[in-house]
Amino acid sequence: MSATRIHSKPKSWLWGTLTSIRLTVFLLLILAAVAVIGTVVPQNQPPNQYVSRFGEVWGELLWRGGFTRVYVSPWFLGPIILLTANILACVVHGLPQAVKRALQPLTVEAALTLPERGQITWPAGVDPHSLVSATLSRELGRCRQETLPNQEIYLLERGRCRPVGPYLIHVALLLILAGGLIGKFGGVDGRLVIDQGEVAGAFQVGPRAEKPLNFQVRLDKFQVFYYEPGSSPKEFRSDLTFMQDNREVSRATCRVNEPVTFGGLTFYQSSYGAQPTGPVRLKLQLGDLNQSIEAPFRQPVDLPGGRGQVIPMKVDGNFQGYGPAVLLAFSPGSGHPQVFWALKDHPELGAQPGPYRFTVEAVPFGYYSVFQVKHDPGVWWVYAGFLLFLPGLYLAFFRPVERWALVLAKTPKGKWQARLLGASPRLREDFAARQERLLMELKRGTPS
Amino acid sequence: MISQILGYVMLIYLLVGILFLMAELWSSARLKGLGRIVLWLGLGIHTGALIGRWAESYRLALGHSPIASFADKLQLIIIQVPLSNFYESLIFFAWCLPALSLLAFRRDLKGYLGAMVALLSTLLLAYASFGVDSQIRPLMPALKSNWLLIHVVTAFLGYAAFTLAFGTAILYLFQERRPRPSLPPLPLLDSLIHRTTVLGFLLLTLGITTGAVWAETAWGRYWSWDPKETWSLITWFIYAALLHARHLKGWHGRRIAWLAVLGFMSVLFTYFGVSFLLTGLHSYLT
Ligand code: HEM
Repeated sequence: MSATRIHSKPKSWLWGTLTSIRLTVFLLLILAAVAVIGTVVPQNQPPNQYVSRFGEVWGELLWRGGFTRVYVSPWFLGPIILLTANILACVVHGLPQAVKRALQPLTVEAALTLPERGQITWPAGVDPHSLVSATLSRELGRCRQETLPNQEIYLLERGRCRPVGPYLIHVALLLILAGGLIGKFGGVDGRLVIDQGEVAGAFQVGPRAEKPLNFQVRLDKFQVFYYEPGSSPKEFRSDLTFMQDNREVSRATCRVNEPVTFGGLTFYQSSYGAQPTGPVRLKLQLGDLNQSIEAPFRQPVDLPGGRGQVIPMKVDGNFQGYGPAVLLAFSPGSGHPQVFWALKDHPELGAQPGPYRFTVEAVPFGYYSVFQVKHDPGVWWVYAGFLLFLPGLYLAFFRPVERWALVLAKTPKGKWQARLLGASPRLREDFAARQERLLMELKRGTPS
Repeated sequence: MISQILGYVMLIYLLVGILFLMAELWSSARLKGLGRIVLWLGLGIHTGALIGRWAESYRLALGHSPIASFADKLQLIIIQVPLSNFYESLIFFAWCLPALSLLAFRRDLKGYLGAMVALLSTLLLAYASFGVDSQIRPLMPALKSNWLLIHVVTAFLGYAAFTLAFGTAILYLFQERRPRPSLPPLPLLDSLIHRTTVLGFLLLTLGITTGAVWAETAWGRYWSWDPKETWSLITWFIYAALLHARHLKGWHGRRIAWLAVLGFMSVLFTYFGVSFLLTGLHSYLT
């Protein structure tokens, strides 16, 4: 006989916990705390970064504890899964009832159980019907009228659909979470690094993993424009050609904020760079010395005149809008190397350490462009959730529930008497104000 | 020129604050009415200055890339909305406070409540005028999107609504500790905290969702756990918790006021802290 009890008790405890708002608040607090950690500890860096920043012990702890990739760690995913269960349970628990309430209009029986807010008795011989209906429609809006034996009942109800509102919000949250999961497991997300002129048939999906494209893409040209030299960049653009079996199928320009979609994948301009395609040619001046040299990248070259070495470090295709430039490291015989930019088209710009004066004669380079490559079937679920927020928030907050009933009946002495009933679980302030005004209006014409 | 006008607007708001306070101290209906009028005047000039800056941004952008078609011009107008750097966000924030409070407080925008709003706006404009670079700079490529307008407007209106909730909560906590007849009554303050919180929650929800849609079109990720995004989510959670506590647990008064203060701390960190202390996609603001 106690078997049922034992059987049902744990279940109801579990259900009770899952539907409790206390669990919600607890989980939201944990998620907030973990997210704070995620914003304070830089994410997705190599381990040595953490050791040098937070010290041996803490760095190790953060790395091992998963706090360096916190949004995919159990610290975050655990509470998220619980919160999902929590929201789901709340929806299952409350939605049917909310829908039922929204579908059920205010009945006379239910209206008569509303708390009483005031009474008015008119003097004998005064028929308040027209006053009552005019006042109600002015102050509250259109009322429903029901006639019972010996009494007249005016009913008004607002925000009947309000109980559904919060559930729309919660269903929207579930849609967003589902969209995240669908994207994680059913989508592709990778990077494509492609040199100008190169044709790519695959993209990177992990540190050492590639995924083939079922088409080819060629970077015809990459360009970066500045508003004016020395100011900020205006546009990065990659001109792409998509090819199938080496036949050109379509061309497109990909910019920041203007992704390109082909073959079910979307390409987003995410970054770019330039790399040398040969040695730089530098002209050197030192006193009477005036000589051109070729310097391969990242290799020290002894300078004529014997006053040091130079290493071309990297190239920029359009340095702050001033055209191609090369970053040079000059080491005098002893002491620290000095690093500076030499601009090809603007030899006058940029300070050089001396004693040599370097002029750039040629920097052979090619641009490369980096794209985020993505297919995310979960996005539409997420967007559906965003859209569902709107009616949900509207119903939950801008359609307060309000129920009014005015019962007009004759007293045994033959006078008309009105009883005003009503309730509004939220918005007590507005409700009270309206009640006061209503009673005042109705009392007009009665001796007070 | 426009930043100079905004300097005058700051003085006007300061005057409004003083007028509202004096009206309360001397229970003068005439001063109160005057405060209202001057507030509208300040808001009008402020609006004009924002539009002026918008026109100026547009004119400069047109100089960088002349265009002819009407559709392109319209697009340029939209993306040149003056909300693309820290200064512009501050002066828009300062505009949102009186504008939203006229909507949310209506007839109660007077006395200490009115002075609170006017002085907060004064403070923001003072900071913008004296502490921040006000130059108009050309837009970087990442910001060139129609989503910029709707995302930033909703986000800042949301912040402003939470700021009003915070100010009201502070008045509530004062009034509760040492009741004063000149301060608005507690139930009124309580319901105003709620009203502004609801408004802020709605706007922040719109701000976060439009930001996500924008990020999806710009970077292919609707969410990347960038610090600003993460902090706005934390803020959203705090206000969601406040609303649940109020509607489901029946919390009122002091506890809700403290939650509104906590939520505002999170807003402040999302707005200032993230920009200055952490780096990420949104760091263009600094
Ligand atoms: C991030 C998570 C959540 C958010 C953003 C959220 C948001 C909301 C909002 C905006 C409302 C309407 C405001 C109100 O009437 O007070 C609401 C109401 C409600 N929420 Fe949540 N919610 C969340 C999670 C949950 C969870 C996990 C539960 C389950 C325990 C829950 C249970 C409820 C209930 C029962 C209501 C009130 C329904 C009613 O008034 O009839 N919420 N929620």
